Amino acid sequence: MMVNRRTVLIVLVVFSLLAATASWSAAAEPFRVGVAVSLTGAFGKEGTMVQDAYILWMETVNARGGINGHPVELTFYDDKSDPATSAKLIDRLVIGDKVDLLLGGFGSSLVFAASAAAERHGYPLISGAASSNRLFERGFKYYFSTLGKATEEVRGCVEMFTAVTPKPKTAAIIGADILFTSLACEGYREYAGRHGIEVIHYELFPMAFQEYNSLLHKVKGKDPDLLLVGSHLLVAMRVMKALKEIDYSPKAVAFSYGPTVPRFAEELKGDAEFVIAASEWAPNLPFEGAVFGSAADFNRTFSDRFQRRPDFVEAAAVGGALAQQLAIERLGLKPPLSGADRAAIRDKLVSDTFPTFYGVIDFAPDGANVAQPPVAVQIQDGALKTVYPLEYAESEIRYPFQAWKQR
Amino acid sequence: MDVLFVQALINGLLLGGVYAAYSAGFSLIFGVMGVLNLAHGELVMLGAFIAYGLFELVHLDPYLSIPIAAVSLFLGGYAIQKFIINRVIEQPHLMSYILTFGLHLILANTAVKLWTHDFRTITTSYSGMNAAFWGLNIPYARLITFFLAVAVVIFLWLFLNRSETGRAIRATAQDKYAARLMGVNVREIYALTFGLGAAVTGMAGASLSPFTIIFPEMGLGYTVTAFCVVVLGGMGYMQGALYGGFALGVVQSLAAAYLSAGISVAVTFLLLFIMLVLRPTGLSGKGIAG
Amino acid sequence: MKAQTARKRLLIWGVLTLLLCLFPAFVSSQYLLRIAALMVFWIGMAGSWNLMSGYTGYVDFGPVAYFGIGSYAAALVMTEGGGSFFLALPAAGCTAALVALLIGMPTLRLKGAYFAIATFAFAETMKQVTLEFDRTFGIFFFQGSHGITLPIAPYGNAFFLYCSLAVASLVLLAHHWIENSRFGYALKAVHEAEDTAELSGVNTFGVKLTAYAMSAFFLGVFGGIEAYWITYITPADVFSVHKTVQMVIMTLLGGMGTFLGPIVGAVFLTGVSEILGLTFVEYYLILVGMIIVGVILLLPRGIVGTWKERKRLRSL
Repeated sequence: MMVNRRTVLIVLVVFSLLAATASWSAAAEPFRVGVAVSLTGAFGKEGTMVQDAYILWMETVNARGGINGHPVELTFYDDKSDPATSAKLIDRLVIGDKVDLLLGGFGSSLVFAASAAAERHGYPLISGAASSNRLFERGFKYYFSTLGKATEEVRGCVEMFTAVTPKPKTAAIIGADILFTSLACEGYREYAGRHGIEVIHYELFPMAFQEYNSLLHKVKGKDPDLLLVGSHLLVAMRVMKALKEIDYSPKAVAFSYGPTVPRFAEELKGDAEFVIAASEWAPNLPFEGAVFGSAADFNRTFSDRFQRRPDFVEAAAVGGALAQQLAIERLGLKPPLSGADRAAIRDKLVSDTFPTFYGVIDFAPDGANVAQPPVAVQIQDGALKTVYPLEYAESEIRYPFQAWKQR
Repeated sequence: MDVLFVQALINGLLLGGVYAAYSAGFSLIFGVMGVLNLAHGELVMLGAFIAYGLFELVHLDPYLSIPIAAVSLFLGGYAIQKFIINRVIEQPHLMSYILTFGLHLILANTAVKLWTHDFRTITTSYSGMNAAFWGLNIPYARLITFFLAVAVVIFLWLFLNRSETGRAIRATAQDKYAARLMGVNVREIYALTFGLGAAVTGMAGASLSPFTIIFPEMGLGYTVTAFCVVVLGGMGYMQGALYGGFALGVVQSLAAAYLSAGISVAVTFLLLFIMLVLRPTGLSGKGIAG
Repeated sequence: MKAQTARKRLLIWGVLTLLLCLFPAFVSSQYLLRIAALMVFWIGMAGSWNLMSGYTGYVDFGPVAYFGIGSYAAALVMTEGGGSFFLALPAAGCTAALVALLIGMPTLRLKGAYFAIATFAFAETMKQVTLEFDRTFGIFFFQGSHGITLPIAPYGNAFFLYCSLAVASLVLLAHHWIENSRFGYALKAVHEAEDTAELSGVNTFGVKLTAYAMSAFFLGVFGGIEAYWITYITPADVFSVHKTVQMVIMTLLGGMGTFLGPIVGAVFLTGVSEILGLTFVEYYLILVGMIIVGVILLLPRGIVGTWKERKRLRSL
């Protein structure tokens, strides 16, 4: 048989394939983590933020040698902001792709559906981006959240006003009529009541409602001291544009979500000044932990990686991934994980506390993170400053909101 | 009369102007070709992005982008009709609806890929400026769009009734077979019409950019509102865009001011449904009947 | 010839049904079962839409209204009423059909784009009504944006496969009936030459209304199935225009007004969705848009329609 060029080529290819396979199987088997998150649809923007957060976590962990010596591999699927798809993707990740672990997506109604599927499979699902109270009321054992409950998240925004003079007496509460934002409004109402602030207007509007001028004129006419809004980024931006157009300057404006996303201040520029937002984390908080160091360290790492500062939801997402990682490290587990391993992880998450850059993560049996202080931040000179609780404040509250015509 | 009522009325009329500005093109396209352009909102979105892009890149004032948006969208619209939609123009209209829906998916999602889901807006030194008197409030940016809408309707009316091409368009709209017999190149007319409709819609999009939030998926909401406006005003009737816009804007504003935001939205769709069932030719009675 | 094709079709569907019934015995993966159940579910949904829009040519852009009505009816029967799932399903279908009769009366007098927009407007109105109802009247019923949580089904995806299979079979039986009955001829007459049909004595209005209510009934039942399957419903999800889009695209791809059309379209799109949607995560919707444009320009009668047309031309 003549050794012609083709034979040589074939031999070379086969040899290199064998060599590659050999080296591949000799490498450490990875921990395979699956994520179903909204990369398109109504929550496409927020979902991609969560995706970025998990990517940062994975890269950081792998740069430090992985978990117990094994690298982490992430698989993302797009739930298209549809709950039915979210649940289906959990099935796919668990059964089709046989992932070892899961991480949660963005948005209460999506995580609601996904967590039901995860519970059935016995996979812990930690989310850093869903906070509807309902999520914790189903008696699930495998659902965890690093974000506090929606009605609690806004506590800081209301309580901070007990520290200003003259103390505001009245408030108007408006918000989008979807799960998270409507619960945030209920939270506002609850805490306003507790602190003697009278709620003179309370209104939820459907997401299909897009022109706020007349609604806000109505509120302006009632002249409340505070305007408290249950919002996501889009609603928050629309409210600000409308407030300026109708020349309405309440003594303070607070949002349940939106201003902490860098885009808010970037797009609105000077019009974003004095805006207050609920938060669960800020870079100046005195927290520290493994892998990412302090809150300020995390802020720097994230900003360097993505050229934008992290929103508290992104921090919460990384925090959740980190807690699961620490549980695995403490248990000394290696991939592939079994059902018993995951049950052990679940128990560890409940029994232990995890000091991290995000705070001391401590899950109650219902899955809620009980240790987070509800923080309020304010946009001052284009930057977010923590203004409440006072012991963590890096700046004084600027009150009242400077009237539009005076800027 | 209480201030809130007058203010809500003013808000409604200004809103109506905004609605009319971006619905006139939709009415034109449907009136002439029977095409329900489900990618209509994307034309608004593209106009807004052109203004935003130029503002970010070369600090061009958004109002100066209006002519640029007009020309770009005229060319784009002309091409879409000529090379794509014209292929199904002899088939049942359902085909064109689904086709434009496919275009909507392609345009909106390509925009997402190119520009991400981020929410954007244009904030200039004069953003949000408004005239305040007697306890009332009139935002200048919306007033400008209001005048733009009126100008567009007047222009379209003059064009359709006083120019040669306009007459050809009207002839084609009435009876395309007869027009063809008269020597009109129907396909070319359709392409010009779509281009024109797209141009005025793009202009509206650019004029909205100072006061609206811009993002790639914003289109669908505008398409739905355009439906409502032209049904109320009368399909294919240019002035109807103004009447329908004002009617819708005022009803929505009064409902939001006196009832609730939720009722305002529910009423919009209820109104649309009732108009179609009771009077498909619109308030003016001059629209194309079902 | 017609009877032969009809028997052949029923045979094909019968065999498929048998295979699907046996499927869970051989496949234990919840994931694969969910995919199979989803395919059958959408065959039924696309078929329900086809019953009305495919055969009469009256394009309905608001079928999700009846789906949502069915979801809420089933949810309320099971939560407030304490009824079982097997009571909830027919309740869902009947409620939807009743509403369809009411709404159909004024709406079916419209044609073309106007009918399409009116039905779309109705669907959106239903969404807003369920959102605002409780708050406006100060009662606790639909629960607005908080949604309704149903009791958790103690069954896996195989159960929902069987449910969907049963209802989808009924839908296809309806197709079979339409293809082989006077009622079906009347529908085709409405599609092709309504005014002439009316003059010839066909009760076009009655025929349209029947098709509309029948379609609504099945959509309502599927709405009930989905509610129990997902265990949590909100207005935004069950009245979502995306469901309408799916139904329309599937039927269009497969071939409107045909028996096999919805089956081919549903299986094709669900399959494509699984493969493309997961591999091309971010380009999925762009791809769907391109498929739609491609089909309209190249295969306007859908896959089945074009195949039938070719067969017919070849036999000439």
